[in-house]
Amino acid sequence: MESSDNSLTMNPVIEIEKMSCRFGNVEAVRNLTLEVPSGSVYAFLGTNGAGKTTTIKTLLNLLQPTAGTARVFGVDSTRLGPPELARIGYVSENQQLPEKLTVQQMIDYCRALYANWDDALCRRLVERFALPMNRPIRGFSRGMKTKAALLVSLAYRPELLLMDEPFAGLDPLVRDDLVQGMLELSEQENWTVFISSHDIDEVERLADHVGMIDNGVLTLSESSDSLRTRFRRVDAIFDEGPPPTPDLFKDALSSEISGLSVRWIENHYTDDEALGARIQSHLPNCKAWSSSPLALRDAFVALTRAQRATPPAL
Amino acid sequence: MLPFPLQIQPGLPISEQVVYAVKKAVISGLLKPGSRFPSVRAVSQELRIHPNTAHKAIGVLIDEGLLEVHPGIGTVVGQPPAAPSARELKLFAAQVERLVVEAKNRRLRLDELQTMIERQWNRLTTR
Repeated sequence: MESSDNSLTMNPVIEIEKMSCRFGNVEAVRNLTLEVPSGSVYAFLGTNGAGKTTTIKTLLNLLQPTAGTARVFGVDSTRLGPPELARIGYVSENQQLPEKLTVQQMIDYCRALYANWDDALCRRLVERFALPMNRPIRGFSRGMKTKAALLVSLAYRPELLLMDEPFAGLDPLVRDDLVQGMLELSEQENWTVFISSHDIDEVERLADHVGMIDNGVLTLSESSDSLRTRFRRVDAIFDEGPPPTPDLFKDALSSEISGLSVRWIENHYTDDEALGARIQSHLPNCKAWSSSPLALRDAFVALTRAQRATPPAL
Repeated sequence: MLPFPLQIQPGLPISEQVVYAVKKAVISGLLKPGSRFPSVRAVSQELRIHPNTAHKAIGVLIDEGLLEVHPGIGTVVGQPPAAPSARELKLFAAQVERLVVEAKNRRLRLDELQTMIERQWNRLTTR
């Protein structure tokens, strides 16, 4: 059933191993290990300042790890040069664009730099993004600038697209245009996207892999199907009698008891039968219970809270 | 526009939601047997989902016989299946059991459950 498993057997496009990045006394990324399978859209989630931008910058050799390694296309990140960078597209929240140029001038300039430049795709994107071609970028709105940046990053058909908070502060229409634009590339054989965001709602549909980072530490990295399956919100009501034993919440992300009702988030839900059996043994006076799917956003919040409450042993 | 309605809900695997939406559209007559079904690319673009996710859903629908691949034509909605096999019935009984467990868990009476089933049954019957 897991179609993503096929891609795991292929060489990962990004391999980060025990990577740390320190700036003075601040460890922006700590002992980070993750792999991004070829063909996946990997959502890299974390609150502001969690270490997302630092990670992406090392993947472009804009920053160097202080420990551990990062590899892109199997090449050590500190050795990435023009041949590899020509296969990577990069769009960031604070993209530097040539403000004085028009979109047409920027396209003409970029086209000359990339052997793989695809004029037909470029035209499709220009049309989709409805960008004014002959006005200086200087006067563009934030959304238009991001579209322009994505346009020139997609038109050379990169095998890997690195996006650092591309949707931050953009209205839903612009976001939708950007997602549609990204999907234009999906027909090509090699297409991997690594996209960072602090808001999971922006990427929940598109991503088939999710990683979460908090305070420089990775809290999870797995397929989004597995994530959607294993988190459940459980509500139960019980009769007068002993409250649930703590063992019921051994594996829960959070739990609240209020009077005769209890609510918690299962971390490794499999099915209602197994859950029912556990409830029966740890809360025999349970009157009724139900489990419901959890939005990834809620799982993300609960995980981050749980992580902060019990820092991992180092 | 896709020929089946789908509002993607958070919390459930998206490919399962696509499979379910298509099944619902077929049984309620929105998708007629023999009509063209959109490509992986179209499903992915319309729903803004990963092409792999769309591919997976369409694969499941083909495996279950709801969609058929006709070389040169593409994917079309399949013919309605014959009566369920013994194995299918057994699998389905397990699903009915879940429904009954959930209903009893909510303290529903049998007639209340029957009324609810009837209402849904009629709502989804081919127009």
